[in-house]
Amino acid sequence: MSNTEVEVADINIDVKHLTRVEGHGNIVVNMSAGKVEKVQWQVPEAPRFFEAMVRGRHFDDIQTIVSRICGICSISHSLVATKAVENALGIEVSEQTDMLRLLMHYSEQLQSHVLHVGYLVAPDLFGAPSVVPLISQAPDAVLTIIRAHRVANQWSEVLAGRITHPITIVPGGMSMIPTEAQLGDLAETLKATIPDLLTVADVVLSVAENLPAFDRETEYVSLKQDNPPTYTFYHGDIASTDGYTAPVDKWESVANEYVVGQSTAKWAKWHRDSYAVGALARFNNNAELISPLGKAVAEKFGLEKGCCNPFMNNVAQLAECAHVVESALELIDKLLTKGLKKEKVQVKPRAGKGTAAVEAPRGILFHTYEFDDKGDCVAANLGIPTNQNHANIQKDFEAFVPQFAERGEDALRMGLEMLVRSYDPCISCSTHMLNIEFVK
Amino acid sequence: MNKETIVLGLGNPLMGDEGIGIKLIEMLQSASGDFPEADFVDAGTGGMSLLHLISDRRKAVIIDCAHMGTEPGTIRQFTPDHVKTVKQLTHLSLHEVDIIKVIDLARQLGECPEEIIFFGIEPETVTQQMELSNILTDRLAQYIETIKTQL
Repeated sequence: MSNTEVEVADINIDVKHLTRVEGHGNIVVNMSAGKVEKVQWQVPEAPRFFEAMVRGRHFDDIQTIVSRICGICSISHSLVATKAVENALGIEVSEQTDMLRLLMHYSEQLQSHVLHVGYLVAPDLFGAPSVVPLISQAPDAVLTIIRAHRVANQWSEVLAGRITHPITIVPGGMSMIPTEAQLGDLAETLKATIPDLLTVADVVLSVAENLPAFDRETEYVSLKQDNPPTYTFYHGDIASTDGYTAPVDKWESVANEYVVGQSTAKWAKWHRDSYAVGALARFNNNAELISPLGKAVAEKFGLEKGCCNPFMNNVAQLAECAHVVESALELIDKLLTKGLKKEKVQVKPRAGKGTAAVEAPRGILFHTYEFDDKGDCVAANLGIPTNQNHANIQKDFEAFVPQFAERGEDALRMGLEMLVRSYDPCISCSTHMLNIEFVK
Repeated sequence: MNKETIVLGLGNPLMGDEGIGIKLIEMLQSASGDFPEADFVDAGTGGMSLLHLISDRRKAVIIDCAHMGTEPGTIRQFTPDHVKTVKQLTHLSLHEVDIIKVIDLARQLGECPEEIIFFGIEPETVTQQMELSNILTDRLAQYIETIKTQL
C-alpha cells in the first residue's frame, strides 16, 4: 500500500475504558478523507470527592483519609496533607522529621517509577500485551524489575510502617521512627540495588527506538528549590520552563482550573494552552542538579534539559530512580551521623488556612485546608497531577494524530495509548474491587 | 522470617462497602493473638505490591469486596482456580490492578503460595462514604467466624 492510499483511509478510533465504577479514560479519533474531524482525550473527574470527605474532620485525621485517595501515591498524599496541616497550624517540624519524611518520599518515587516503567511501559516497548507474557520473552528483565520494585516496597515499609497508606506520619512529627540498625540495613540494600536499576535502564535502552520521535513544546511545571539548590521533590516554589515562579500557596492561580465539554475533569493552564507535570517537568526545571548516576542514565538516552518529547517522561523516571537512591544514601548517612532521637510532638489546634506542595511521582501535587479554632476542617482543595496534565495530553493528541496517521489506525491507536501511558496517569484509582464469574 | 500465612484485607474504606476487606482485617488484627502463625495486613489498594506481600508464604487468605452476581452481603469462599476475572483493564494507568492477574504473575515467577483462599463479599453500596451498608455491618461477626475457619 502506498503512503497516499493510507493517508486517505478513514480512521475511527474509539477506545472506551469502562473499567471501574467511577472511572474511565476514552480516546476518540475520527478522520475522514485524510482530514482530522475529531481528536479527543476524554476523562472523568479525578477523586475530588475527597475534598468533601475531609470537611468536618479533625486535623489529625486528614492524612489517614487522604492516604486512601491512591494506592500508588499514598505517601505523597499523606506527606502533602500533613505539611499543609502544619502550615495551617503554624508548626515547624524538626530537621530529623523533615529528613525522615523526605527519605520516605523518595521510596515512593522509586516504587512508582519502577512499577510504571517496568510493568506498564516495558511491555509496550517489547511489543508484549502486558508484563505477564513479557516474562517468557524477557525473563531476566522482568525479574530485575520485580527485584527493584520489591526493594522500593521494603524501603517504604521501614519509614512508613507499611508498604502503602503510611501510619507513621502525624502533624508535627513522626509517631514511629526506624532504628539506626534498620537505616543501616536499608543503606546496604539500596547500594546493592543500584546495579539492578542500571540494568533496568539498559533493558529499556535496548528497545528505546520504539519510543516515538514526537516533540511538542509546552510549559513544564514543577517544584524548584534554590536554597540550597536541589533536584527537589519536597521543598521549594512552583517554577516553569517559561521562566515563571510562584509561591506554593498561589497554586490555584497557577493551575487556573477550567471546565471543558469533553471531560468532567477540570483542566489546567498557566501561560500557554496547557502545561505538563511529572518527571520530565522536574528534569527540565532541575536537570543540572540531578545526581551523578541520574545524569549518567539520562545521558545514555540522550535526554537533555529542554526535551519536549512526552515519551521521554519514561526516561526521566529512570534517571530519577537512580537519583532518589543516591540522594537517599546521602540522607541516611546524615541521619546516622547525627544519631536518631525520639522526639515529642505537641500540636494545638487553631483557626487557619494552610497549603503545601510535594512532587508526587506523576507530578506536582497541592493540598490546601482551612480549619476552625477547634481544628476541624472547614474547606479543602486538592490539585492532582493527572488533572494538571489532561489539557496537555489533549494538545499532544492534536499534534500527534496528523503526524502519525499515515501509519494506519492500529499503529495510531497504539501510539496514542502509549502517549497517555507516558504521562503515568492516575485514573480511577480509588476503588479496585474484584469483578468475577465463577467457572463452576 | 515471614510467618507462613498472610491474611490480606483489600479495599478502600472511603468507598462504602468497597472497604469491607479493611474493616474485617482490622477486626482480625485485634484478635491476632489467637493466630500466632499468621500476619494480618491492611493492603488497601496497593495493587502490584500484593505480589511482594504474598511471595514465599505457604498460604494467603485474601478478603475483598467482589461483584459475584450474588445477593448483597453474601460471603463466598473460593480459590483463584474457581473464578475467571471479567474485569477489563485499560492498561493506561498503574492505578488499576487485578489481584487474579497478580496471582498469575506470582505463579509464573514460582513464588506463589501453595494455597490461596479468597473470601469475596458482595457489596450493596459502593459510593463515596466512610460507612459500610447496614446489610454488611449486620453480618460482620458472621464474616469473621467464616474467615476464622481458614486460619
